[in-house]
Amino acid sequence: MEYIKYIDVTKCDGCRACMVACKNWNDLPAEFEEFHGSYQSHKKTTANTWNVLTFTEHVTADNQFEWLYRHSSCLHCTDAACEKVCPENAISYTEYGSVVINADQCVGCGYCVQNCTFDIIELATKKDENGKEYKVAQKCTLCTDRIAEGLQPACATVCHTDAIMFGEKDKMLKLASERLNQVKERYPNANIYNPPGVGGTHTVYLLAERPSVYDLPENPETSYTAKLWKDVAQPAGKLLLGASVMGVVGAYLSNRLFNKEVDESSLNEGGKDDEQK
Amino acid sequence: MIIGANPAENHPISFKWLLQAQENGGKIISVDPRFTRTSSKADMYGALRSGTDIAFIGGLFNYVIENNLYHKEYVAKYTNASFLVHPDFDFEDGLFTGYDEAKRSYDRATWVFQRDAEGKILKDETLTNERTVFQLMKKHYSRYDVDSVIAVTGTDKESYLKIAQTFGATGHPDKTGTIMYAMGTTQHTVGSQNVRSYAMLQLLLGNVGRPGGGINALRGESNVQGSTDFALLSHILPGYLGVPTASAKHATLKDYIENETPKSGYWVNKPKFIVSLLKAFYGPNATPENEFGYHYLSKGNKNYSHISMFEAMYNNEIKGLFAFGQNPVVGGPNAGKEQAALANLDWLVAVDLWETETAAFWTKEAGMNPADIKTEVFLLPAAASFEKEGTVSNSGRWMQYRWKAIDSKGEAKADLEIIHSLATRIKKLYAGDTSAKALPINALYWNFGHGDHPDIDLVAREINGYDTVTGKLVANFTKLMDDGSTASGNWIYSGFYPEDGKNLSKRRDNKDTGMGNYLNWSFSWPVNRRILYNRASANYNGQPWAKGKEVIWWDDLKQEWAGYDVPDFLKTKAPSAAGGMDPFIMLADGVGSLFGALNEGPFPEHYEPYESPIPNAFSSQEFNPTIKVWTGKRNDKGGIDKYPIVATTYRVTEHWQSGAQSRNQEWLSELVSDMFVEMSEELAKEKGIKNKDKIIVTSARGSIEAYAMVTKRFKPYTIRDKQIHQVGMPWHFGFKGFVTGAIANHLTPHIGDANTMIPEFKAFLCDVRRAD
Repeated sequence: MEYIKYIDVTKCDGCRACMVACKNWNDLPAEFEEFHGSYQSHKKTTANTWNVLTFTEHVTADNQFEWLYRHSSCLHCTDAACEKVCPENAISYTEYGSVVINADQCVGCGYCVQNCTFDIIELATKKDENGKEYKVAQKCTLCTDRIAEGLQPACATVCHTDAIMFGEKDKMLKLASERLNQVKERYPNANIYNPPGVGGTHTVYLLAERPSVYDLPENPETSYTAKLWKDVAQPAGKLLLGASVMGVVGAYLSNRLFNKEVDESSLNEGGKDDEQK
Repeated sequence: MIIGANPAENHPISFKWLLQAQENGGKIISVDPRFTRTSSKADMYGALRSGTDIAFIGGLFNYVIENNLYHKEYVAKYTNASFLVHPDFDFEDGLFTGYDEAKRSYDRATWVFQRDAEGKILKDETLTNERTVFQLMKKHYSRYDVDSVIAVTGTDKESYLKIAQTFGATGHPDKTGTIMYAMGTTQHTVGSQNVRSYAMLQLLLGNVGRPGGGINALRGESNVQGSTDFALLSHILPGYLGVPTASAKHATLKDYIENETPKSGYWVNKPKFIVSLLKAFYGPNATPENEFGYHYLSKGNKNYSHISMFEAMYNNEIKGLFAFGQNPVVGGPNAGKEQAALANLDWLVAVDLWETETAAFWTKEAGMNPADIKTEVFLLPAAASFEKEGTVSNSGRWMQYRWKAIDSKGEAKADLEIIHSLATRIKKLYAGDTSAKALPINALYWNFGHGDHPDIDLVAREINGYDTVTGKLVANFTKLMDDGSTASGNWIYSGFYPEDGKNLSKRRDNKDTGMGNYLNWSFSWPVNRRILYNRASANYNGQPWAKGKEVIWWDDLKQEWAGYDVPDFLKTKAPSAAGGMDPFIMLADGVGSLFGALNEGPFPEHYEPYESPIPNAFSSQEFNPTIKVWTGKRNDKGGIDKYPIVATTYRVTEHWQSGAQSRNQEWLSELVSDMFVEMSEELAKEKGIKNKDKIIVTSARGSIEAYAMVTKRFKPYTIRDKQIHQVGMPWHFGFKGFVTGAIANHLTPHIGDANTMIPEFKAFLCDVRRAD
């Protein structure tokens, strides 16, 4: 069964119980960030803060002031770039629609971090039993472990205004479209955010304003290179050429994959080899 | 209408229901100096400068009367609008008749109604006689026209009119509206009159005693209602019985009863409640011969509220203090002075979950030199709410039993256990002692089981009340007697435990028993009634004012009141019977008081806060003429020359009170980890402050450092062509816990309301500048 976490930001009152519930269920440590000059506690999601409530002060075209909130967490894309670029197949889709990382398979290469369409995933630094540091990619799991036990995600469970709802895909999408009509009067720019460029998502928003107001890309797409990597180069490399040659074949692609933030020199860092130094 | 409250942040679960009401077509109005998370969800928002609620509401009285929006039938018969007031009663330049400047109080001789030879109040139900309460009120608030009001509150005119129109429309009998308030209303030198003004607005609109009406106090903690009911205040005994004072009128029980019992209304039963309370206190040691132990009650003649106590401590008049779950070094007004006051104590017992700033007031991190402190400090670890059982009463007066979820860690104990252990040990200490000071202790009937763990069921039974001969539980307070044959620890709760095995606060029946009442869920005092004064939900003939607004109604066939709630009225008293149209049974006149005296006078009048940025536009009385002005060291008053900016304090969703609980919890601490001060972009520009800058805020009491949070949610007020800035800050921070920060209350003054002495945390003057 495919599920959706449907977030109606017009119902959110910014209480942040979702952030606490997530840390509680997933046993994540607190991360104290510097003062950001607003009510927002964390600049963005991190490896140990899987959802962040964003606070945006917005003046509309007709000079109305709105204080907008958004529960920002993994969107669980249908065509997830992270899943496609992962060289170790550590990231996979579940039957519920969630995109999950297998920590045992993850080598902390950071490809997913660089290619996440929504800048969600990050690497956590952990220590093994010998006290040696290693990296592992972490993000919201949609509480896949809870879903498997017939429970809702922790954030949805504690949301007292039902701004976070969780349920069967069709049902949630129907709710969202019905709600959209109701909120149009107050929020004329309201829209449903379920971008087709990533094949749709399993965290679907009803936004009160244009996506860009919430720092979301207007028309996101799973990058061509990510698709190429997963669907052509990686299988070809693994099947035909062996892993060592694969790196060479993939050099062009990986360069592209890392173009987002890091320079070329950092291509030599990270990844499994680096991890085992 | 939410005014002086911010439920989305401070009472989020209540806000869930408000949002549902909004889904059903209800409108939410948010009135606040600052655009809050509540405002962001509201249908309309009105800004008001801190400390101008009475001007805001006075303007609504005027608007509602001038535009004929008030509920005429309701006002005519269910309030004292028609009563004729004493011919000499008057009002001039901010003062009502009878003011004594030296005493800063009033002689209330003219604040009374005209009566005929038989003592009956003279009325004019056409409300046209110029001595009627209605005409006097109309005249009083004719000065509060919209332009005059917004010239004080700073509200934008369009918003004000929209709010006036929307809320005023609830005066139609088909509609109701409620007002929700909290500490933004009460923590002012005019706090009591602020609340009273809301109640009067609701009377004018016929919104009291009706479903969806009333004024709803959002309590500062989950059990503030319960603790108030149980007299965690210095001026009352359990069940709102006045504390006897050291005065002739309270010299004996007979004197107390004679002077404190009204001649009409339900309080005529007061003797039964006080005697039953004394029987609960003193048990077999309370007899008719010894006036049921009344003489054991300590009697004083001072004010014993928070500010007074700390002033006394500061002046070396008090030797010891128990601080139960209280953290005045962070939460007290003029907290720096209060911290200094603690150093004058011989001993301090702090009872809390963690070592609070108060428990650690003597340390280096508190800025003290431990070697200079002679106070002996005891820290008793307390159990958290889910580590103990007992009841919590919400603001709907629902007494809800809670069971223990987990055991406490270490030696932590429930408050009840701590008090019990203290009581049994103190009694043991004084056993056999016949000195005067030992008598009340020895007479105290403390019979809650053996050992250190009290039997909570015995406590519950005593609260409900029992027959002192048979020990049988009483059905409710109508069975209480004034002859010593019954005992009850709190008459208003009597009935929650009417018979063995039936503790109604434990009920959890989730079924709607009609009109959104859940009569079988917990117990609501009094006698499980959910809407107080619900006789007012029905018209003169005893029928609901409107369809869809039914609560109770008169069943002519059965000759009794029927409906969805327990009638707040004699069940068999017909509307046509004498007093059949007097819904306000706790009041001597049986009707709602549009004219009703608090210490400042019978009508709320706008006075500026003690520290105000601008002269009072309504009169030459700058601030409340009846407040006590504290003198002496560290009670400086700030003026606009040095401190031109209005400041207020508040809480955020993520922290709890003084932060003792939330700043010791990492997942809450990371959400709001720094002390900040919110200010408008305009003020920031004026002061050369950028967002995230470190700033210094100063007041006449002290100065603090914090981060600037520059926001569009604060706007300067234009008041009589003058631009007035306001800043706001949370008061959650201190020097203990995972996250620390400056204590906002180093800035706030020791000044309180004239009736309750609640501190004026919500409006004071300051200045801000960049730290570097």
